[in-house]
Amino acid sequence: MKPRIIPGKELNGFIKGLMERAELYAPKERDTSPFPANPASDENPPALDAAEHSAGTPPVNGNREVSQFFRDTTEFRHITDPAQVNLDHLNTKLPLKELFLPRREVMFTFDTDTPERVEPVEAVAAERIVLGARPCDAAALEMFDRVFLDEATPDPYYRARREKTTIIGLACNEPGPACFCTAVGGSPHGSAALDLLLVDSGDRYLARPMTAKGEALVAHLPEATAPDIEKAAGLEQEARAAMKFTSDTAALQEKLKAGFDHKAWDEIALPCVNCGVCTYVCPTCHCFDVTDEESHGRGARIRTWDSCQFSLFTRHASGHNPRPTGRDRLRNRMMHKFRYFPAVHGTVLCVGCGRCIVECPSGIDLRETLTTLQEELE
Amino acid sequence: MTNIFQPISAEIIKTIDETPNIRTFVLRPEQEVPFLAGQFIELTMPGFGEAPFTPSSSHFNRDLIEMTIMKVGRATGALFNFKVGDKVGIRGPYGARYPLEKFEGRDIYIVGGGVGLAPLRALFLALTHEIDKYGRVFLRYGARTPADIVYKYLIPEWEKLKKVDIDLSVDVSDEKWMKKVGVVTCLMDEIPCNEAESIAVVCGPPIMMKFVTMKLLEAGFQGQNIYLSMETNMSCGLGQCGHCKLGPYFTCKDGPVLTWDQVKGIPDPFV
Repeated sequence: MKPRIIPGKELNGFIKGLMERAELYAPKERDTSPFPANPASDENPPALDAAEHSAGTPPVNGNREVSQFFRDTTEFRHITDPAQVNLDHLNTKLPLKELFLPRREVMFTFDTDTPERVEPVEAVAAERIVLGARPCDAAALEMFDRVFLDEATPDPYYRARREKTTIIGLACNEPGPACFCTAVGGSPHGSAALDLLLVDSGDRYLARPMTAKGEALVAHLPEATAPDIEKAAGLEQEARAAMKFTSDTAALQEKLKAGFDHKAWDEIALPCVNCGVCTYVCPTCHCFDVTDEESHGRGARIRTWDSCQFSLFTRHASGHNPRPTGRDRLRNRMMHKFRYFPAVHGTVLCVGCGRCIVECPSGIDLRETLTTLQEELE
Repeated sequence: MTNIFQPISAEIIKTIDETPNIRTFVLRPEQEVPFLAGQFIELTMPGFGEAPFTPSSSHFNRDLIEMTIMKVGRATGALFNFKVGDKVGIRGPYGARYPLEKFEGRDIYIVGGGVGLAPLRALFLALTHEIDKYGRVFLRYGARTPADIVYKYLIPEWEKLKKVDIDLSVDVSDEKWMKKVGVVTCLMDEIPCNEAESIAVVCGPPIMMKFVTMKLLEAGFQGQNIYLSMETNMSCGLGQCGHCKLGPYFTCKDGPVLTWDQVKGIPDPFV
């Protein structure tokens, strides 16, 4: 498939074209402050008079510092106006996974008088296009596929969303301070699970299709030239070089086999408060809970994200809990990602997006944890 | 395609109070649930959610499914308010069955504790249904008190079956109790089968499973022949939701029955 060029820095025309084809989802600024900086939309009604308070929020463009990542408040949302798309950020606050495994979804509903007659809920109605997925978040979907698209028992909700979604990635030229995709087998210009990858090369975008679906979106555009492709390769090398952290995950997998009871776990887990934020912001954490809700004669079965960091996650009805302490639960999370998942699926369950590092209230840095385990385990 | 999360309806056609807090529910599912001994189903208490249970009836008779359930948590608390005629939901079966073909020609030594006899009953009925295929079937069962014994009305019938040998113990006896007093391992001092060749099957509370397994290994049973019910907090049944993670396994998918050889690498698998 031939790489193409989107000339100029202006993506508006391209975005409009996408919006004509399907429902478009892209990073969109989220108004978390009580003083909305954005014009009100249907999804962001103004809590206060927007005009009066809009001066309060600083612009988020400019040099990328550590604080930049903290200020990133974009989320993948339905785009109704090309101006809503914000690609000038490191990454979204929550990973792309929420478009495929929503934070909360209704699986089916029923009347409480006749609970045996359940009414199925369609996971996704229209074709969707995602614009601006970072390669790490997209790579996480390949890991999700191993969990949710098991041949014998594929998850119907997840499968419908995957099948109806075309994903356009945006390569990273300037990795953030917490990024470490190269240490876990990824690349800032990686193409896993993508249909099309855009590379910002200054005065134009290189558009590299991976699938027929992706190719159809750019077939009308001019072909890229050799210098375009060369320049993109250079940008990838620069981005790779910017990430210094390395980890021998294969060696670590071996060490973890014998290191279950090592004292290093105490040290690592000491600051952890088991808040679970690392699991919620993780693009590869797939755990969920299934519950029933009932109100005024109507019931619904709900699936929500869940976290292995909570004691209720494993507690039996009898009160017996296989992982009663925070240390047990942190260790289980690390074991799952770096020992058990690779043993079953051949890849670590981490894409190096760095969100857990940025969001951890106790300052636990996964890179330090991996280094400690490498050094202390035998 | 069919939605794997969508339960089918089942009517409660009978309930049997086994003990003060254990009840057997006899269900008629609207279509056959093709379970095999060892597999479990997710039972929906509409409006209250789901919980995993292993059928305690024979897989040779699937018109009705029986499940013997202890009232212990939120979902089972709700279930005990359901009456005959009420509808519940079933999805499944999930997990791995007992590999009965590996049991053929061998003695089978079954050890149960408390409500742990419920899933073992499905196995016991499957074995005795085709008893000529197997060696002798030993059942060792311990309960807290005589009142806490499940299937009290069935055990005398089972004792009459050919090639079946049953012994019981209670932790605390009453004046009528004529059998052993003590935890279930007190029934295991003499094991009347060829330990190196025989199959052992264990289900009960984690602490009981731990000590029974130690006793079996001491007696000479092979790790690959010791089948343990390693139920954890199973929820989705598909190895997706993460709750039941036990070392490298999802017990809902790889288990819930795992052999000692499978779990012995997990530090203290019964914790």
